[in-house]
Amino acid sequence: MNFTKTLAALAMTAALGTGAASAQVNVMLPAAPGGGWDGTGRQAFQALNDAGIYTGGVNFTNTGGAGGTVGLAEFLGTSTGQPDALAVFGAITVGAIALNNSPINLAEFRPVARLTAEYLVVAVAADSPYNTLADLVAAVKADPGAHPIGGGSAGGVDHIAVALLAQAGEIPVADLNYIPQTSGAETVTAIVNGTLTAGVSGTSEFAQFAEQGRIKLLAVTSAERRPNLPDVPTFHEAGYDVEIANWRGILAAPGAPDDNYATWVDNFTKLSQSDAWKAVLAAQGWEDYFLAGEEFGAFIAEETATQGQILKDAGLVN
Amino acid sequence: MSTDERNTTEGGSQAAAPASPKPYWIGIGLMAMGAVWLYNAFGLPQGARYAAVGPGLFVTIAGAGLLILGAILVLQIWRGESFEAQDAEDADGSNKMDKRAFLTALVAVALPIATMGPLGMPFTATLSFVLVANAFGSRRWWLDLICGAILACAAWFLFNQLGLQLGRFFPPLGV
Amino acid sequence: METFELLLHGFSVALQPTNLMWALVGSVLGTAIGILPGIGPALTIALLLPVTTALAPTSAFIMFAGILYGAMYGGSTTSILLNTPGEAGSMMTALEGNKMARAGRGAAALATAAIGSFVAGTIATLALTFAAPAVAELAFYFKPTDYFAITALAFCSVAVVMGTSRTRGFVSLFLGIAIGVIGIDTMTGQPRLTFGNMQLLRGIALTVVLVSLFAVGEILYVASRYRTTPGVMAPIKGQLWMTKQDFARSWKPWLRGTAIGFPMGALPGSGSEIPTMLSYTLERKLTKYPEEFGKGAIEGVAGPEAANNAAAAGILVPLLTLGLPTSATAAVLLAAFQNYGLQPGPFLFTSNPALIWGLIASLYVGNVMLLVLNLPLVGIWVQLLRIPRPQLYAGILVFAMIGVWGLAGSWVDLTIMLVVGLAGYVMRVYDFPIAPVLIGLILGPMAETQLRTALAAGQGNPLVLVSTPLSAIFITLAVLLLALPILLKRLRANA
Repeated sequence: MNFTKTLAALAMTAALGTGAASAQVNVMLPAAPGGGWDGTGRQAFQALNDAGIYTGGVNFTNTGGAGGTVGLAEFLGTSTGQPDALAVFGAITVGAIALNNSPINLAEFRPVARLTAEYLVVAVAADSPYNTLADLVAAVKADPGAHPIGGGSAGGVDHIAVALLAQAGEIPVADLNYIPQTSGAETVTAIVNGTLTAGVSGTSEFAQFAEQGRIKLLAVTSAERRPNLPDVPTFHEAGYDVEIANWRGILAAPGAPDDNYATWVDNFTKLSQSDAWKAVLAAQGWEDYFLAGEEFGAFIAEETATQGQILKDAGLVN
Repeated sequence: MSTDERNTTEGGSQAAAPASPKPYWIGIGLMAMGAVWLYNAFGLPQGARYAAVGPGLFVTIAGAGLLILGAILVLQIWRGESFEAQDAEDADGSNKMDKRAFLTALVAVALPIATMGPLGMPFTATLSFVLVANAFGSRRWWLDLICGAILACAAWFLFNQLGLQLGRFFPPLGV
Repeated sequence: METFELLLHGFSVALQPTNLMWALVGSVLGTAIGILPGIGPALTIALLLPVTTALAPTSAFIMFAGILYGAMYGGSTTSILLNTPGEAGSMMTALEGNKMARAGRGAAALATAAIGSFVAGTIATLALTFAAPAVAELAFYFKPTDYFAITALAFCSVAVVMGTSRTRGFVSLFLGIAIGVIGIDTMTGQPRLTFGNMQLLRGIALTVVLVSLFAVGEILYVASRYRTTPGVMAPIKGQLWMTKQDFARSWKPWLRGTAIGFPMGALPGSGSEIPTMLSYTLERKLTKYPEEFGKGAIEGVAGPEAANNAAAAGILVPLLTLGLPTSATAAVLLAAFQNYGLQPGPFLFTSNPALIWGLIASLYVGNVMLLVLNLPLVGIWVQLLRIPRPQLYAGILVFAMIGVWGLAGSWVDLTIMLVVGLAGYVMRVYDFPIAPVLIGLILGPMAETQLRTALAAGQGNPLVLVSTPLSAIFITLAVLLLALPILLKRLRANA
């Protein structure tokens, strides 16, 4: 019975694996690791664990691309009807769906909670000749095609921020050479190696690379200067009337049972009041932007309408 | 590719014959696949403002590539290109094709499409196990049934523990 | 010096008891599958991909690395004792090794193979340790056009080198590229070739294609042409250790094999077969005992065995530093990284040093483990060859099924398994190479993104594709690779 021996060996291998925590909730992070959504999801569950609100196993899946629509499509395919399946998403997804005519409908998912907002920064290479936002806008205005700007997916918040900046600087939005990147890290690589003249991403994604001296930050999209980036002027200060935030939240799978759904809304409500979460927000430089359950659903519907309008005004959607 | 199965069987039996086979259908199949990809590419934007190429480009390349390669293959076959079956560790390329064994194994592979959802993974895997063992010449089907059932159930429990979502144990009974 | 510190840190990760245990599991599994015919390292890692849902990435990759190296050790045992290569990379070993075993020098052959694997594995891992960080820093200078040129070169070399004819190599490659475009376009969000099916939006998973091509295709093929007479096993007899003369004749081939295997493994398309063939040819030319070749020359075992282990380390260089897979096994490892949402590349070295350096350190540890596992315990491993084939292949199908079904619980994936499995069968019957399909499937989307980014940044000017020295060289090489054989043929015809 040598065959049973192999069986036993195989069973042992698998049994060894059970020593690791068995996963109980599946979380879709629809972006490459190291990005803002990745951070939001992982930090939120770390805080849930630290605060003792949810201490079970968590199984993360990263699937990046197209403003989260690739990941959400996968989430829809694998998790519809699953009791404990969650997905991180955000403002970027709303625009990407409109722009790309994606078949995903955010209203199908069950809204759990809106957690954070993050402001965006515009960055150029450390050795770039542009030192202010006005320098950059002037150069882009002179020859938009020769100055490619990168950021998150087409139609996402990064793209919309660039479009609004262009409008404020009287550059036809349709002339912009905007190249979508799959992650903040990739945007940095492309800025460093000279593929992109400038890049847009969240403050948390760019700050570390600015510290390493690979890129310099020109302006931030918040109303006031950020406490963790005191030397970076706002768009207003630079002379452009643009203010935009990138919010992030959690969705449950379509058709998730009411009990499980209510538990998760409750868990995240508790999270928003916990010290563990407040510490994360402070460390990451994220704004608290909490809103739960059906109210969040109403907010998503509203955002879908307003972002669609901005994209139309900017000429990105017919 | 739905007609491959029958064609394969014919091609396979010829492969064992000393005369070089003429598997024109492979070239034609590739051309058909290329045509489907090309047709789809026409529905996609080919250009973009600055990139000059859009989401349609690679679909076009893939489609055109398959179409051309299919045509080349047909030409090569016509010129008498020889196709010899590969040798594998437990297979002899020059052996004559065993149709019964092949079809039994094929049923084992196709079975899950129908039974995995309604009857569950352990049941399906057990049945497929018996079928493959049979295709390889095992005649003690009751022993295979026991072996397969133990393997399938153990695998179901362990992988479920690992967080893999394999579905219910035996859906008809709701467990 | 920095590398040294990072490596030390890596050892502190690799020597943690859990990670040591996973290295042992990987080494044992790797040796077992290396010995067993029908399953290679690529398929084994693919079948084990589901464990990525429950295992920490570091542990999983330490195990996978053990499988990768272990398969190279185990493959030689089958070659020497059974005259059937357990792995493609052990083909050459069978030539001399089996002759040695029949002449009663099996133990010496096994020893030179195991020690040669150890020496080569350790030297190649050292080379990997010091080459990888340098190559990773290069990534900051590589532009999209360079990446596109590299993928184009990889496509051409894979299609030309693998398989019996270029046409068939390219057919396989284009099948992979065609499958790769299915799903949502990552740059614009456009659905492509989904035929309105929601499940196809996320594209066809690499795991499904891999498991279907390798496991299902192989099962169908072997079933249809089953070799009913099993190979005859040469007994292990004679003195247990290598003689002084054996050592004197082995150490140079070990080093030469390493020197050939490591860089060749890093090149796309060469896999482990080509370096072992080169090493064998070289040893045959350089030997002082040409009359022994073909009758059991120890150099013919020592060189190729060192070469295939060094090649296994070589494939990790482009994979870890640039995210470029150069063989089927590397492609599966890349899929495993992607399962964790990790993109191998320079950022992995800075963002996840514990994983990268833990993995590299575990290669040293694994090599020592494998030497211990293989030298004294070879008699036990040989027992694995007694597993009856019917149950072995049936078991493989069960695990293939779990891998595919566990992915998304979707009958669409199971249907793809049937169709692609049939394609894998047909490819075996008509001798189309399998690996280019995977290379096309993985590198296709990468080539596309880099091409479109490069063109957008260059405002649509196609000359941008050869605008850097590196891209110009690579594109030229790719064109030469395609055109040269045809030109040579013409020249010869005219002469």
